[in-house]
Amino acid sequence: MIYKNRLLRTLSPDDQDVLRPHLRWSSLERGTVLVAPNEPIEHVWFLESGMSSIIAISGGDQGIEVGLAGRDGFVGMPLVLDADRTPHRIFMQIAGACYSMGSDVFRQVMDEHAGIRKLLLRYVQAYSTQTTYTALSNAMHTIEERLARWLLMSHDRQDEDEIALTHDFLALMLGVRRPSVTIALHSLEGLGFIKATRGQVTIRRREALEEFAGSAYGVPEAEYQRLIGQLR
Amino acid sequence: MPRFFLHIDDGTQRIEDEEGSELPDLAAAHEEALAAARQFWAAAILRQQDIGSRRFVISDDEGTVLDTVEMDEALPRDLRDRLQGR
Repeated sequence: MIYKNRLLRTLSPDDQDVLRPHLRWSSLERGTVLVAPNEPIEHVWFLESGMSSIIAISGGDQGIEVGLAGRDGFVGMPLVLDADRTPHRIFMQIAGACYSMGSDVFRQVMDEHAGIRKLLLRYVQAYSTQTTYTALSNAMHTIEERLARWLLMSHDRQDEDEIALTHDFLALMLGVRRPSVTIALHSLEGLGFIKATRGQVTIRRREALEEFAGSAYGVPEAEYQRLIGQLR
Repeated sequence: MPRFFLHIDDGTQRIEDEEGSELPDLAAAHEEALAAARQFWAAAILRQQDIGSRRFVISDDEGTVLDTVEMDEALPRDLRDRLQGR
């Protein structure tokens, strides 16, 4: 059994054997809520494909993406940190598939198997670095640079060069008005880095896009590589 | 809700809004264009760029132009008055 999820894949064969009987495969449609705000977390999710978005909510249905997790990580981090809920909302922004398990058995496994616990804690550290750099980017980088960063981060978490997303959705991710997304996509397309069509962005020149993103991209990715292993 | 398309025209080219937004009415689309224009100005000022020649062209899903919104309309009124007085 070869997992696409980087954490499941990185575990020792013995630790994989511990988890395997508890993992249930399912597909996840776009929009599926994995974690509802301020409600007990009942499952943890190891994504095999697709991408989830962690949203900090600001009253009503306003909010901004503060982090993302795909096959690089898992959803349900508060459980590793001895918390049973979070004020964030986590949902699938790109459809995919996952292995999930119940939170009770997950807690028990964490208590009994240091190898699993340590890997997941190292992921929490890697994820935490990602969110701090999201904060940095939101304050210091232009919309174009932040869009480039976001596209690179999505591209890291899938095999294909085509990323399925709407302008509406990108506006939520970047915390900007939709026309700002239209303009930013147009600029990156004008530079030849991407091709934007309705509901889809295709990465054309990844290295050039990385160069354009500059300091907006790279530090959390290097940290992930140091703590866990290959991201892409 | 009807779908409105907020294209951006800078005098030489038009950047098409291919997806559009669902909004209650044309007045809401006009407001959305103004809010976006303020965001454009914020970025433009940081770059020391003048985007006063740009405008939003609002159309319906058949491409019929319903309204245009000049970038200048998004500037604070007293600033606009001051610029016009020069």
